[in-house]
Amino acid sequence: MKRSTILSTLAIALMSAVSPVAAADIVFGGSAPMSGAQAEFGQSQIDGAQLFFDQLNEKGGIKGNKVVFRPLDDRADPRQGTLVAQQFCDAPEVIGVIAHMNSGVTLPALDIYSACEMPQVVPATNPKLMEMGYKTVVRPVANDFKQGALPAKHVSGKLGLKNAVLVHDKTVFGQGIAGVFKENFEKGGGKIAGTFGVNPDDVDFSALIAGIKRENPDVIYMGAGMPQLALFLKQMREQQVNAQFIGPDIGFTVDLIKQASPAFAEGALLTFQLPPYDSSPELVDFTNRHQARFGRPPGPYAALGYVNAQVIAAAAEKAKTFDRDGVLAELHGVKANTLLGPVAFDEKGENVTAPVYLYVVKNGKFELVKE
Amino acid sequence: MLDYLLQQVIFALAIGAIYGLIALGYTMVYGVMRLINFAHGEFFMLGPYLFTFTMAALLALGGLPPLVDTIVAIVVSFVAIGVLGIAVERFAYRPLRAYGRLAPMLSALGMSIVLQNAIRVTVGPQPVHFPAIVPNSPIEMLGGMVTTTQLGILAAAVVLMAGLTAFVNGTRIGIWIRAASESWTTSSLLGIRVNRAVSLIFFIGPGLGAMAGIMYASYYGIMQPTMGSAVGLKAFTAAILGGIGSIPGAMLGGFLLGAIEVFGTAFLPIVSGGAVGTEYRDVFAFAVLILVLLFKPAGLLGETVTEETVVAKKDY
Repeated sequence: MKRSTILSTLAIALMSAVSPVAAADIVFGGSAPMSGAQAEFGQSQIDGAQLFFDQLNEKGGIKGNKVVFRPLDDRADPRQGTLVAQQFCDAPEVIGVIAHMNSGVTLPALDIYSACEMPQVVPATNPKLMEMGYKTVVRPVANDFKQGALPAKHVSGKLGLKNAVLVHDKTVFGQGIAGVFKENFEKGGGKIAGTFGVNPDDVDFSALIAGIKRENPDVIYMGAGMPQLALFLKQMREQQVNAQFIGPDIGFTVDLIKQASPAFAEGALLTFQLPPYDSSPELVDFTNRHQARFGRPPGPYAALGYVNAQVIAAAAEKAKTFDRDGVLAELHGVKANTLLGPVAFDEKGENVTAPVYLYVVKNGKFELVKE
Repeated sequence: MLDYLLQQVIFALAIGAIYGLIALGYTMVYGVMRLINFAHGEFFMLGPYLFTFTMAALLALGGLPPLVDTIVAIVVSFVAIGVLGIAVERFAYRPLRAYGRLAPMLSALGMSIVLQNAIRVTVGPQPVHFPAIVPNSPIEMLGGMVTTTQLGILAAAVVLMAGLTAFVNGTRIGIWIRAASESWTTSSLLGIRVNRAVSLIFFIGPGLGAMAGIMYASYYGIMQPTMGSAVGLKAFTAAILGGIGSIPGAMLGGFLLGAIEVFGTAFLPIVSGGAVGTEYRDVFAFAVLILVLLFKPAGLLGETVTEETVVAKKDY
């Protein structure tokens, strides 16, 4: 008993030595995969948020209080995510979090954040996350309903393609988003010739593709992860299936083009929640500042990290007291003009105007498809 | 319909050849040592990684034509992974031989985790692009389409399997291996150095696994640290299906598993009139495995229970 008291005193002393937090500082937590296969996406969010908080501090912080951003790695692992959530909850100085990037990690963590009344800005995109009745969450980013709907409208309307095949990896994400695509594609007058399930870790789709070839579709929508999207695309082009290929945000990475090879990736459509970094003067400015601060151009989700930080800071700005209750009271009412356009939340906490963008692979690069 | 069937047969042969090559490693080790070498999948995974490093080093040195570079890199991968296999047996399995069959099996599981995480930490967990070794161009054949990569895989696998069969059945060293697998004690009493046979098996098995890994990575265009555990499990299944301990059984099991998987994907929806979709592929494949084992517990070409295997059971 005595020993554990000494130990915990030591631990507290150590912790305060590592992160010196003055009483008046405002601390926000952030969590995303910063190591592992998805580190490119996760780290970019953390960098974007850090950039915003740095800028805020240069302008004098929030009402004269310095803002401290505390990022923790969740490794895209639900078990690690719940540990991180508990860590933030147990630190009384943390009065808001931006977490987590993956829907599967966010789901079990929601309950923990909600139990300690932690204001939470969610970067994950599964529609169900906002329908579970938690009052502590808002989401500035577009959910998967929008992500599945946009390409369905595009191919059935603008491109006039009417015969689609769905492939999904039987996960909540893959199957869900393929279902949304189907609904919208059929609304646009299209027909689904077949739906095929694969395993999330499959690498050989050749037998399946030979079967799909017989259906002679002009659109193939695939709700799956990486590298499966790239492998499927490569193998279908190898079998000379020339249907329009569409994939979700996970495929929005140069790895898709590299692993499928640029020639085979040409013309593939992918949805993503962010516009290109050269599409507005604000984003160009953001890119330059990111380059100056970190010595590299912003990663795929950097601007989203920045926007999420803007939202939590806006709530703190209006808060009457700098604690969780104070920020929480203002969170749902936030109306801000962010880097990616206006943000305002409905009663569920979803952003009412969150956009989704469609990209096409052209000459080995992603290019925005203009509506 | 016939061209569709033919096309699917080609796919089944290509993936089946790879399963078969890996299954050989499981079956040879089991045949002699009655040990399931769980680390075998990792040798399969290490193959393409080592190949890539050797290629990069050779290219950096320069001076050789690309074809020679490739051949050298393939030989280096085979030999280096083979030597690693010998080392793993010598240091992780042999000292545990006296402690029954569970201890070496756990040691093999540990070895698998060690090797996989070593690559995960040093090279990184993300899938890496692997360039095609032979140029990948499609050839129209009898209404189906076959790529040069598929032909290359099939040819290489058949050559390796034929070579192994000739080696085991036709050479003096091959006799050691067969003798050791028939009866460990008797062959050592007859003056055969069983440990040499074991080392040889741990050279050939992982070497063949590495070859299969290079073919696999070149076929699909990627390699990743987890591929060993995913494909290794399939190959292990193939070895059991064919009859673990039997070399022709492993080859047969590999091709059979490839065929069952392709059938499950390509024909199950057609045969069942759309009621059973492609997502039931694994349910179907493993149901077939269970059925085979129910009727032939030793696998298709496996030896039926002999006195020797009964004796081995005492080890538990």
